[in-house]
Amino acid sequence: MKVLLDAERLCRNFGGLKAVNNVTFQVVEGEIFGLIGPNGAGKTTLFNLMTGLTPVSSGTLSYQGERLTGLPPHRIAEKGIGRTFQNIRLFKGLSALDNIKVAQHVRTSSGLWGGFFCTPSSRAEEKRVDEKAWELLKLIGLADRAGELAENFSYGDQRRLEIGRALALDPRVLLLDEPAAGMNSAEKRALTEFIRAIREQFKLTVLLIEHHVPLVMNLCDRIAVLNFGELIAVGNPAEVQKDPAVIEAYLGAE
Amino acid sequence: MDDFLQNNGFLIVTLVQQSLLAMSLYYPLMAGQLSLASPGFYALGGYVAAIIGTAEYFAPWRDSLGWVVFPLEWLAAGIISAVLALLVGIPALRLRGIYLALATIAFVEILRVICLNLEITGGAIGIFGVPQLFDSRWNYIWTFGPLLILMLFFSYRLDRSRVGRAFKAIREDELAADAMGINPTRYKVLAFVIGAVLAGVVGAMSAPFLNTWNARQGTFDASIAYLAYVLIGGSRSMWGPLLGGTLLAALPEILRPLKDSRLIINGLVLVFASIYMPQGIAGALGNIRSFTVRKLGFGGGEK
Repeated sequence: MKVLLDAERLCRNFGGLKAVNNVTFQVVEGEIFGLIGPNGAGKTTLFNLMTGLTPVSSGTLSYQGERLTGLPPHRIAEKGIGRTFQNIRLFKGLSALDNIKVAQHVRTSSGLWGGFFCTPSSRAEEKRVDEKAWELLKLIGLADRAGELAENFSYGDQRRLEIGRALALDPRVLLLDEPAAGMNSAEKRALTEFIRAIREQFKLTVLLIEHHVPLVMNLCDRIAVLNFGELIAVGNPAEVQKDPAVIEAYLGAE
Repeated sequence: MDDFLQNNGFLIVTLVQQSLLAMSLYYPLMAGQLSLASPGFYALGGYVAAIIGTAEYFAPWRDSLGWVVFPLEWLAAGIISAVLALLVGIPALRLRGIYLALATIAFVEILRVICLNLEITGGAIGIFGVPQLFDSRWNYIWTFGPLLILMLFFSYRLDRSRVGRAFKAIREDELAADAMGINPTRYKVLAFVIGAVLAGVVGAMSAPFLNTWNARQGTFDASIAYLAYVLIGGSRSMWGPLLGGTLLAALPEILRPLKDSRLIINGLVLVFASIYMPQGIAGALGNIRSFTVRKLGFGGGEK
C-alpha cells in the first residue's frame, strides 16, 4: 500500500484559536478516507490547508513525497488534487458545460494566439475539451441541461455539478466537503454508489467530510475524527465507533 | 452622401474610437477587474505617436519610411503600453474591486501630471501639428474601422477559448478558479495588458486624427465616461462596449439643439439605464431574444 498524502503536525491558528492543531495522518492510495467531527472541529480548515486556500501556520503536507505546503492553490490543483466546497462555489453565471470546461484548464495549453487564430492544435484541443465535458456531464446526469446557467440548478444538482467539475481536473485525489448535505436518504444512497463508482472508474483516492454517520460508516475504508482542531482517532469504521474518545466528543463523558 | 460624410465623418469616426476605448475596459471586466486605467494608456499611446510624428530626432525615419511610420507608431504604442501595464498591473491587481479602481485612477492622474510637466510631451501646451495620415477626417475610418472589426473578432474567439474561460471563471469566483488550477494573478494581468495595449493603440491612431495631443486627453472624466459606456452597453457581452460607446458618445451630439440642458438628459439616461437595465443594453436585448424564443417559439436557432 502506497502512502499518497502525508500530513505531518499540521497547525493553523486564527488569532488565539487553534483551528487545526498538530494533526498528523496518512492517506493510502485508492482508499475512501472519511473526516468527521462536531461542528467547528476544523474539518473544512484542514481541507483548505490541504488545497492551499489557507496557508498553514506550521507543519507539512506532502503528496507522493512532494511538499504541498507553501504552494498556491492552482499549483496544488495541477498536481491532481480536486475538491468541492461545503458552501457550493460553482461559476454561477456560466453554463454547466462551461463550468466543466474551465476545470480542464491545467490539462490543456492553448494560449491567446492559438485561440485567436484557431490553430490546428488549439482546435483539436478544444474538441477534446468539449468531448470530455460532455462525457462528464453524462456521468453526473446533467447532459440534457448542459447549456443552463449553474445558478439555475437545484441544490443536489449543483453538488453533482461540483463533483463533475472537480473530476474535469483529472485528479488522483478528490476532496469532497459534505457532498450529501441537504440530500434525502434515497439521494444519499445514490451518492454513496456514485462515489464508489467514480473511485473505480478514475482510480481515485477520496477524502470526504460528512456529518451523516451511517453514510460515512458504510462508505469509508478509514475514518479520522477531529475535535477542537485535534485528531482524536484514526482507524476503520468499527474501531472508531468504539473509541472512548470519540464517544466522549460526540455524546459527552459519563 | 459625400456631403454627409464631410459634415459627420468626424463624429462617426469618434463613435468608433470611443467604442474601442470602451472595449479596452471590457477585457479586464471579463476577468472581474474594474480597471479605469484606459485613459492613461490612451494618452500614452497618443504621446508616442505625436512624438514620433513631430520630434526632430525621428525626422530621418519619417522621411525614409513615408506612411509606414504610422503602423510603426501603433506598434510602438502597443509595446510601450504592454510593458507599462505589466509593471503597473502586477502590483495593482493584488487589490480588489473599488480599491483597484482607485489605484488605476491614481495611475491615470500620475501619468497626466507627469506629461503636463515633461518637456518631451510639450508640457501644458502639448504637441501641435501631428502629421496627418489622411487629408479628410472621414478617411480615418480606415484605421479605426478595421481595428474595431479585428477586436470584435478577437472578443468572439476569446469568449470561446481556454483563456476566455479562465477570465470568466475568475470573474465568477476567483477562489474557486484558483482551486480549479487557474492562476488568477497571471490571467488578471493578461486581461489588464490586453486592455492597455488596445487603449495605447487607439491613442496612437487618435493623435494624427486629432492633429494635436495634450494632457487633457487622459483624464479622470474620460475614465468615468468609458466606464459608463461599458455599464450602459453591457459588460457581459462583446457587443456591450460597442453599443454603449456608440450611443453614449453620440448622445451629446444628438441633443445639441437643447444646448446646455442636454447634460440633464444625458445624466437621466445614465441613471435610468442603470436602474432598468442592470445588464446593460446588450443584456436587455439578450433577454428579449431569449423571451421570444422561449414563450413565443420563434427566432433564434439554438435549442
